Amino acid sequence: MNEPIVRIQSITKQYKGSSQPAINDLSLQILPGSVFGLLGPNGAGKSTLVMMLCGLMRPDTGSIHLLGMDTKEKGAAIRKRIGVAPQEIALFPTLTAMENLVYFGKMYGLDIHTINKRIADHLEIFGLADKSHKRVHTFSGGMKRRLNLIAALLHDPGLLILDEPTAGVDTQSRNILLDFLISLKEKNISIIYSSHLLEEAEKICTHIAIIDEGRLVTEGVPAALIEKHADCPSLESLFLKLTGKHIRD
Amino acid sequence: MKIIATIRKESLLLIRDPGGMALIFLMPLGLVIVMALIQDAPFRDYQETKLEVVFVDNDKDSLGKKIQNVFLQSPNIEFVQESDSNKARSVVRSGKYKAAIIIPAGASESLRKKNKQLIARIFANLGYPGASNDSTELPTANILVLFDPAIKINYKQALASAVEKVIANVESEWIVDQLQNQLRGNNSSKEKMKVDFSGVINVQQQYASKHTNENMVLNSVQHNVPAWTMFAMFFILFPLAGNFIKEREEGSMLRLRLISGSQFPVMAGKFLFYFGICLLQFMLMILVGIFIMPLLNLPQLGLGNNIIGILLTACSVAMAATGYGLLIAVFFRTPQQALSFGSISVVILAALGGVWVPVYVMPEMLQGISRFSPLNWGLESFNNLFLRDASTLTILPDVLKLIVFAMITLSISIFIHKSRTIS
Repeated sequence: MNEPIVRIQSITKQYKGSSQPAINDLSLQILPGSVFGLLGPNGAGKSTLVMMLCGLMRPDTGSIHLLGMDTKEKGAAIRKRIGVAPQEIALFPTLTAMENLVYFGKMYGLDIHTINKRIADHLEIFGLADKSHKRVHTFSGGMKRRLNLIAALLHDPGLLILDEPTAGVDTQSRNILLDFLISLKEKNISIIYSSHLLEEAEKICTHIAIIDEGRLVTEGVPAALIEKHADCPSLESLFLKLTGKHIRD
Repeated sequence: MKIIATIRKESLLLIRDPGGMALIFLMPLGLVIVMALIQDAPFRDYQETKLEVVFVDNDKDSLGKKIQNVFLQSPNIEFVQESDSNKARSVVRSGKYKAAIIIPAGASESLRKKNKQLIARIFANLGYPGASNDSTELPTANILVLFDPAIKINYKQALASAVEKVIANVESEWIVDQLQNQLRGNNSSKEKMKVDFSGVINVQQQYASKHTNENMVLNSVQHNVPAWTMFAMFFILFPLAGNFIKEREEGSMLRLRLISGSQFPVMAGKFLFYFGICLLQFMLMILVGIFIMPLLNLPQLGLGNNIIGILLTACSVAMAATGYGLLIAVFFRTPQQALSFGSISVVILAALGGVWVPVYVMPEMLQGISRFSPLNWGLESFNNLFLRDASTLTILPDVLKLIVFAMITLSISIFIHKSRTIS
């Protein structure tokens, strides 16, 4: 049996001044090669969990092991081997797409030939080759999202963590992004995909976990979970059944 | 490589930020020129005292002429002749002129008589035959010096002591003259000797520092160019903190935190870039002082001879300014907080440091506080170099204070940034 690429054991995280923990006694395991959907309504704790997976936030209790390393002790080593596309458009708006990517490539410690080759390849894949010398602030939301993802891929990571990668993008851009993620799945690259868009998750995820109010509600293979709940014909109906229909802000 | 990449990134961000560029280069340019022009008159007022004095000579004899001749040679006094004492009083009272000297009628004669009586009594006391021992009280001639109440105290003192000095000289000359008359007695065939007192005691004026340029004084340009250049260098916190917080808010800082094991290249790159910008500002302002100021009828900036000392001071001020800017950038969470606190704190540090007005005109308490302002350390060092031609050893304490300040602010910045990278 494969060793889990991510092992989360009973983690809890409570922000200062908050009455409720953002993550509450959560345990999970993610196997290599899987596209793991981290699903939950707004404020469920998805982004907090993503930050903890990257080692930028430490759990109050419990432990997270990523690629066999403890995030508390080996945060920097872990970050070198993972690619993260955060929810924010983490780019410099007044730099061009090329300037952004070259800078991030250098910060990854890559040589300029590798940087140029990977940039050219990814810009082509994501349909941005002819926009490489345009400044990012002139890009549409979809173009920014695609570029945001390219910046996370430059150093060829073995694990990709995506936090709401398709938020606010048009259908065409979403399509390119999802097709690319499916192509990564075929290359056996592990992906942790945090989203509240269930249709997307159902399309690309091999496994999902639904979390709400910092707790793990359920996890498993999407089809198996739907089958288990006979009254839920889709992932969306299952999600609403498990997390409730009240509005979250 | 990462540091160079960060420097290149910072330069691209700044080049594409016209507001930031204007703030870094045009604001100090305008500040230096405007402040030098505004303060030119007060500095000249202070350094080049040119006082218009109404002169009324009712004596029309030797004393009046002597006083007039002496003051005519003074570069700081300009006499305006007036014949009516009441009118002189009126123009001074109205503030049109700051002072008036009124020599009363018969002042010379009165002085002569008093001297003659004094010498005669000395001779009579010594037993000289024929010397009169008349001790009748003779009337004193009152030379009147009128002042406008708004006159500066130093002008008042300078004018009064100058008048007294002239009278004392005249008195000495006339006493010696009278002495010769008395000793000569009836033997008028002997020529009286012309006595010159000017060579008896010579008061030599020179600057204490060895190589000081004699024409160099703290004028408007000498004060304002280094002072406002430093102010502008400390205002580097505006683009520095603004960009830093923007990167944090927009998410690009998060990307860097996700990439890099160490935040050192990011911080070092930013520090080195803005350090370089501060030095560029400094060089630009120095060039303005040398080439632009004379075109505006202002004095040319003099740099002295210690170029290494100037570079050392400029580098240490640039380090301190960048360190402070970085601290403001990492400490505050919003641009509003950072820029409000940053700008007000720089204005206060500048005011205390002697940027607006020289420290020596401040109250004693503020002079004590000013020693804690990094801008004062820099300004003192520049004044030492530009005006006193100080050696590198002389400016070293101020330079070291600036470097220590930079190291402390930089260390705190890195500590805060690191502690916020992982929460």
